[in-house]
Amino acid sequence: MANDRLQGTLDLLILKTLAREPMHGYGIALRIQQISNDVLRVEEGSLYPALHRIEQTGWIKSEWRDTESKRRAKFYKLTAAGRKQLAAEEENWSRLSAAVAKVLRFA
Amino acid sequence: MRWIHRLRSLFRRHQFERDLADELTFHVEMRTRENVAAGMSPEEARYAALRQFGNLGAVREETREIWGWSSVETLFVDLRFGLRMLAKNPGFTAVAVLTLALGIGANTAIFSLIDAVMLRSIPVREPSQLVLFGWKAHKDPSYEEYSSFGDCSGGERANPSGCSFPIPVFEQMRSAANAFSAVTAFAGPAQFDLSGNGHAVIARGGLVSGNYFSTLGVSASVGRLLAPADDTPAAPPAIVLSYAYWQSAFGGERSAIGRTIFLNRVPFTVVGVAEPSFTNLTPGKGQDFWLPIAMTPRLDIAWGHRIQGLDNWWLVLVGRLKPGVEMGQAQAAANLIFRNQVLHGSKPISKPEDDPQITLTPAQEGLTGQRGELSKTLYLMMAAVGFILLIACANVAGLLLARATARQREIAVRLALGAGRRRILRQLLTESVMLSAAAGGLGVLFAYWGVHAIIALASGHADRPFPFVVSPDWRVLLFTIAASLATGIVFGLAPALRSTRLDLTPALKETGSTGAVHRTPAGRRFHLGDALVVAQVALSAVVLIGAGLLVRTLSNLRSVNPGFDTRNILIFGLDPTLAGLRQAEIQNLYRELQQRLAALPGVAASSYSADALLTGGLWTRDLHVEGQPEKATVEVDILSTGPGFFQTMRIPLLEGRMFTAADFAQAAKAGSSHETLSEANENQKAAGQNPSPKAPAPVNPPLPVLVNATFARRYFANQNPLGKGLSTGGSEGSSGDLTVDKPNAHSWEIVGVVGDTKNSSLRREIQPAVYVPLTGGGAYFELRTASDPTALIPAVRAVVNRLNDNLPLFEVRTQTDAIESLISQEHTIASLASFLGLLGLLLACVGLYGLLAYDMARRRREVGIRMALGAERGDVLKLVVGKGFKLTLTGLAAGIGGALALTRTLSSLLYGVRPADALTLLMVSLLLITVALLASYIPARRATKLDPMVALRYE
Repeated sequence: MANDRLQGTLDLLILKTLAREPMHGYGIALRIQQISNDVLRVEEGSLYPALHRIEQTGWIKSEWRDTESKRRAKFYKLTAAGRKQLAAEEENWSRLSAAVAKVLRFA
Repeated sequence: MRWIHRLRSLFRRHQFERDLADELTFHVEMRTRENVAAGMSPEEARYAALRQFGNLGAVREETREIWGWSSVETLFVDLRFGLRMLAKNPGFTAVAVLTLALGIGANTAIFSLIDAVMLRSIPVREPSQLVLFGWKAHKDPSYEEYSSFGDCSGGERANPSGCSFPIPVFEQMRSAANAFSAVTAFAGPAQFDLSGNGHAVIARGGLVSGNYFSTLGVSASVGRLLAPADDTPAAPPAIVLSYAYWQSAFGGERSAIGRTIFLNRVPFTVVGVAEPSFTNLTPGKGQDFWLPIAMTPRLDIAWGHRIQGLDNWWLVLVGRLKPGVEMGQAQAAANLIFRNQVLHGSKPISKPEDDPQITLTPAQEGLTGQRGELSKTLYLMMAAVGFILLIACANVAGLLLARATARQREIAVRLALGAGRRRILRQLLTESVMLSAAAGGLGVLFAYWGVHAIIALASGHADRPFPFVVSPDWRVLLFTIAASLATGIVFGLAPALRSTRLDLTPALKETGSTGAVHRTPAGRRFHLGDALVVAQVALSAVVLIGAGLLVRTLSNLRSVNPGFDTRNILIFGLDPTLAGLRQAEIQNLYRELQQRLAALPGVAASSYSADALLTGGLWTRDLHVEGQPEKATVEVDILSTGPGFFQTMRIPLLEGRMFTAADFAQAAKAGSSHETLSEANENQKAAGQNPSPKAPAPVNPPLPVLVNATFARRYFANQNPLGKGLSTGGSEGSSGDLTVDKPNAHSWEIVGVVGDTKNSSLRREIQPAVYVPLTGGGAYFELRTASDPTALIPAVRAVVNRLNDNLPLFEVRTQTDAIESLISQEHTIASLASFLGLLGLLLACVGLYGLLAYDMARRRREVGIRMALGAERGDVLKLVVGKGFKLTLTGLAAGIGGALALTRTLSSLLYGVRPADALTLLMVSLLLITVALLASYIPARRATKLDPMVALRYE
């Protein structure tokens, strides 16, 4: 259960990050870390298996492109199905966090 | 769709690997760059990046798995790797494969017998539609005659049931067209004197109704099969040969079709041959040919007269259900007809309170034949070979465990490099399944050889060849594959689990397999090794004890005193009634033959009797004995004997006198009806049917008879049995219902008492027996010879042929051979069980040896230290042998416990020995301990030869 939840969270973070623009794995890790003010550090060992898993489900696509520094890297891009999934997961998440917040406040 | 993707990715494997490597390298590079920017030296930065990333190999492995490399691809990799590992250790591989092949082969062999005897469906079209008719009632219907031929298992006296019916019931059932698309009938096989094709021989013919073949859906191999038109009294007599008989007796020649042959001197035309696969409908019951039921009255068969009536039950009925008709509906329809006939006919033969019913069963299930007799033995053997396979598994598991320790470093390195535990488990299991698959292949060869050996063993002394076709089919194949796979997993799993549960650091530090004293993980591992050896010893003890009991049973049977001298007796059967001889002619023939045979050089004496002793055949009947309560009857063995029978067989006369010529003359005069006694059919005899000899009319003086000692003791304990009378009753036939019309008018009178003999089988308790003078019918001749009886066979044939050239001899054999064939099943299972027991013992000892040898190799340093510190060779010897002894005793104790629980299932097979036989337990224990000590001694001796200096320097 706990594992599922965390896994789901990582997926959500990846999808959300990719919703802005296509990005490579390193960029995703960096972005999550930066935006969360270093609170969330993506475990790099689990990032790539997660990316490949999500790619297999069809929510993201990958292609090789040059980076700004002219280095070839694998970029991931959100698909239409991925957008739908993201919306659903965001909704899910806010409901969950609202519920947790409520419990924390009143319990 | 995903699998297409996977397949594609499979072909783009290299591309994928490159991409993945690039992607991960890119990440590490970026991180390194960042670290450099933060002020680290390039080298430092790179290490920091790598450290932060974690286990690169594991990430790759995990990612790869997501794309489904795992299933197909890793299998190939594992197989390749496994092959390499197995090839690297040819000794280990050979021992493991051989051990498992023995186990799998033995299982496949026994399973293919079970398949042939019990699982194979009857060889007809859509066998599931066929149903067997049976009846049941609270009391036997009042039939005049009842014949059964061993097609189904019958009921007891209290609640009789059966599967024989009279012709009128058959005819009525055929009219139940709403339930059955067809109903057919058959009986027999009966023995016929077949001539017109070389020498006259005795052949077995099944009597079938005209729609038999069409109902079953059997087709002809050559010519045509019997049709309804053949099954009419006026039809030209036709027979159809079985394929096997066509091959053996007619050389498989097409010219056989249209030939005329003679059955009991009646001409028949061979019209065709059945297809090869149709050997028989009832398992194990073969016949040489089939003939129409309507021909029965023309042939001289005991039950051939009055076959028509409602009071003669002799036909087995099989129906084919109409498509869509449930068995319950059909049974209700058949029941209605049946009850109407037997309860409300013009002459009812059953009463409503006896509640006669029809029972339908699937033919596959109901036609048991010889299946029932063999099934227990086969399941027993299956259990034994199952144990052998378990021993083999434990054995190879032990070997693998030892090897796993040797591979500990390899596995530790792989785990450290990021291989998942499951991945390694799979690798190890792949290896063990490869071993067992190879063993399965070799096992099939062993099984092929084993099946032939078993059949040869089983039919070596039996009268007839093994009546089942044993050939591998999909079921056997499936069984072997399943057994191999299961075996691979069973023996591979425990060692594999054990060896992947490793504490990496010490394992990596260890210099080699002979490393320092193993503490925690290794200590546990050796408990598993010990347990495996204990299990092997225990299992082999169980098999050995079972074998021991069966061997003792066989030797007990062999040492049974049969009450007569079994050596140098030649037996052969004759049935002059089939050649059309009348009773008076038969009597003259026998008399003449007896004299001429006795005159042959080398023959000391000769006689004849309705049954030969200890050949399996036996008549029993109910009698009233003088002095017993009125109407009370007792069942006794009954044997018609010729003159000089007791002298020839060397059965002592205890009191009174033997038969005289006058006795035979009186018996002959008393009535030709005595003929029925010996005229009866072989199969009726096997089914335990009682004959229906008509008693001589009470006005005649009572017929002199002899009784055995048991009879005299049981019924005339304190009296003189001589002169006492026996009543055979007036009404005959239905054995339960003997009515003694005039209790005082005794039909038989005891004139002598002879010694007890074993009559039908060695196992059977000696029963009261009555001997009457033989006056006609078929008979077995017994010749007492001076030397080897078989040398006389040609001379005997010549004598018989000179007297009558139309008289085939059958069952020509020596008395000892006949006895061997009686106990051939015991012989077979005792031999087989002994073989399996010894095989198990051998495997267990190899296991024990392997464990101790390995143990010693591992503890070389320890032993070296002990010796350096002053331990004597004797101490070392004790150390090793002591361990072997301890393991053996533990296993033995467990095995004896198991055997005590299991051998009870054997009790019906045993004779003269209890399942918990102390002597057997003792012998098996001694054998096991001796062999186990030997197996322990070799590694122990090697340990004592150790030079302490070398051992200590070893590391």
